Amino acid sequence: MLTAKNLVKKFGNTTVLKGLNLTVQPGEVFALLGQNGAGKTTTINLFLGFIEPTEGNTYINGISVQDQPVETKKYLSYIPETVMLYPTLTGIENLAFFSSLAGFSYNSDELSGFLTKAGLDTVHHHKRLGGFSKGMRQKVGIAISLAKQAKVLLLDEPTSGLDPKASNEFSEILKELSSNGISILMATHDIFRAKEVAHRIGIMKEGELVSVIDSETISANELENLYLQTV
Amino acid sequence: MKVVFTIARNDFRNFLREKKIIISGLLFLLLVIVSIIGGYQQFDKQNKERKEAQEAVRKSWLNQGDKNPHSAAHYGTYAFRPVSVLSFFDVGLNSYVGNSIYLEAHRQNDPKFSVASESSSLIRFGELTIAFILQIIMPLLIFFIGFNVVTKEKEGNTLKVLFSQGITMKSIAWGKLYAIFGIVSMLILPVFALIFFLGLMNVGQGDKILFLTSFSFLLLTYLVYLFILCSISVLISAISKTSRSALLVLLGFWITTCIILPKVAANLGSSIHKAPSGFEFRQNIAKDEENGIDGHNPSDKRFDRLRDSVLQKYNVKTVEALPVNFDAIAMQEGERYSSMIYNKHFERLRQDYLIQNKISQYASLVDPFIGVRNFSMSLAGSDIASAFSFQEQAESYRFEMVKYLNNYLRDFSVTGEWDKKASSSIYSNIPDFHFTPISMNVRLKDNALSIVSLFMWAIICAFGLSSLKNKVN
Repeated sequence: MLTAKNLVKKFGNTTVLKGLNLTVQPGEVFALLGQNGAGKTTTINLFLGFIEPTEGNTYINGISVQDQPVETKKYLSYIPETVMLYPTLTGIENLAFFSSLAGFSYNSDELSGFLTKAGLDTVHHHKRLGGFSKGMRQKVGIAISLAKQAKVLLLDEPTSGLDPKASNEFSEILKELSSNGISILMATHDIFRAKEVAHRIGIMKEGELVSVIDSETISANELENLYLQTV
Repeated sequence: MKVVFTIARNDFRNFLREKKIIISGLLFLLLVIVSIIGGYQQFDKQNKERKEAQEAVRKSWLNQGDKNPHSAAHYGTYAFRPVSVLSFFDVGLNSYVGNSIYLEAHRQNDPKFSVASESSSLIRFGELTIAFILQIIMPLLIFFIGFNVVTKEKEGNTLKVLFSQGITMKSIAWGKLYAIFGIVSMLILPVFALIFFLGLMNVGQGDKILFLTSFSFLLLTYLVYLFILCSISVLISAISKTSRSALLVLLGFWITTCIILPKVAANLGSSIHKAPSGFEFRQNIAKDEENGIDGHNPSDKRFDRLRDSVLQKYNVKTVEALPVNFDAIAMQEGERYSSMIYNKHFERLRQDYLIQNKISQYASLVDPFIGVRNFSMSLAGSDIASAFSFQEQAESYRFEMVKYLNNYLRDFSVTGEWDKKASSSIYSNIPDFHFTPISMNVRLKDNALSIVSLFMWAIICAFGLSSLKNKVN
């Protein structure tokens, strides 16, 4: 579970987040929509502990990120917009490395199983990442989360730059992960993908969560109109 | 610690798969092989030449035939500076200092026949020795390997993924340091093994312990130096925003520490503390010999005093009445006096150079290259101290040789008896010249500042790596 309480973040005189309150339940996918500079990535960075909040706090599974940053990292996994990982290593080797850092030791079959579950074709498991597309690299990122047995997944613009097929595949994987009880917070510009994947959608404007919508109660076109009116 | 080694292992494997690193490493090894072959051939040639020359002059000395001992002292001999075994690793100043000294009565000659004097002007650009490669080229290779070890992970967002796993920048930096150091060790350890093997093949029985200690210190010194360079490349990469800026900073560091500062330190040393030129050195000696060592003791008065004391000792009125050869006594006194003057000026000159060298050693506090260069030359026996030691030992040998011949002349002839010949068998009573290298204790003491500065740099770098904070940009 992810929780943000009265989260304020200032960079100098600029207030980027203005008292954000947010909870993402286990098994829930929450999509944050908003223009550039609305505070989406800052929110994710605060959950990751990359930056310190000016006020308020963030919690992962009820543990304060600010007070116990190392402990909270055990439960979360993060996939940035573009992740290169290690181009000279194969998919399996990348996965083995990150699993090892997280304290897990898997055999080759188990690692291969995670990659398959993340949607990466078996033929690519032993190929170097240097030749992978962004979508394929993201699948390795998902496999890293699976191998780590993460309870929380943070995604920053995950479908940006993906072709429709890859984007669709990615959505299916996220649905699968959420059905397994993983909390997913995703910052995105992709309204239609957000509507398709997320249980709830939050629209951010100038550091505030101005509206939170249950995705089942709104169509994609209505969501787009609401978004355009809001921002 | 497990995390650090996991990162190190991963990066080490990464490096081994990067073509640019493989090609650079192979080029480096090729360069080292060329320098080892070239350096060893030069060492072997010089070593053989000097051994042969020393044997030839010894033979010539022993077979000079029956003659007056003073004629033998004028006939003279040569002292050849043996080539230190590790000089094929670090030729240091060997090429610029003389290798042999003509030893004769009445005169302290300068060492002659430096390699530089017999080479083309290209030698001014330096020789391709293993030390040169490790000191100058290796930093470039390390910076080339390490400039983007952290920045590329920033640029590819992998660093964020690592941080999200709870990995600290400190662990990442140490892991990357071990990986680069592993690659560097993989390149240099076989080189050192080869140097050890070649050195051991050529070292004399009596010099084995000195060789082993010198080699051990040399290996340790270079490992510390390379650790410093690896740490600097990781540190700069960790604090830089882009790979490009990291590379620029590291290249700037290389130019400053390997090119500019050593020149500045050398020029500063010679301008702050001027040493006399060769001409001034000789002029000062001649002046002292003429006027007495303190300027109030002219040579003819000294001669009169010596004659009076000898006459008094033998209780005779004239030198002709002496049972011994007064000319030999006077010549020996002249030798003693001129040697004392020479030693005084030589010690001053040595001190001048040591002060200049000290300034360079102080510069090692801000430049690890200077520290490693100084200590490496000293361990290889190719520094200025070794050249001075040769000159001192040659002068001491010359003095003892001439003293023996003068004393022999004094006792076996009388004053004015210049035609009397001694048997050639007496020349074997003067042992052959043997150069004793500077002991390890003295080398360590002389280079204490360079050693301290290297360890200080290593500690600062380690502290810097451990102080790195998690910053995503």
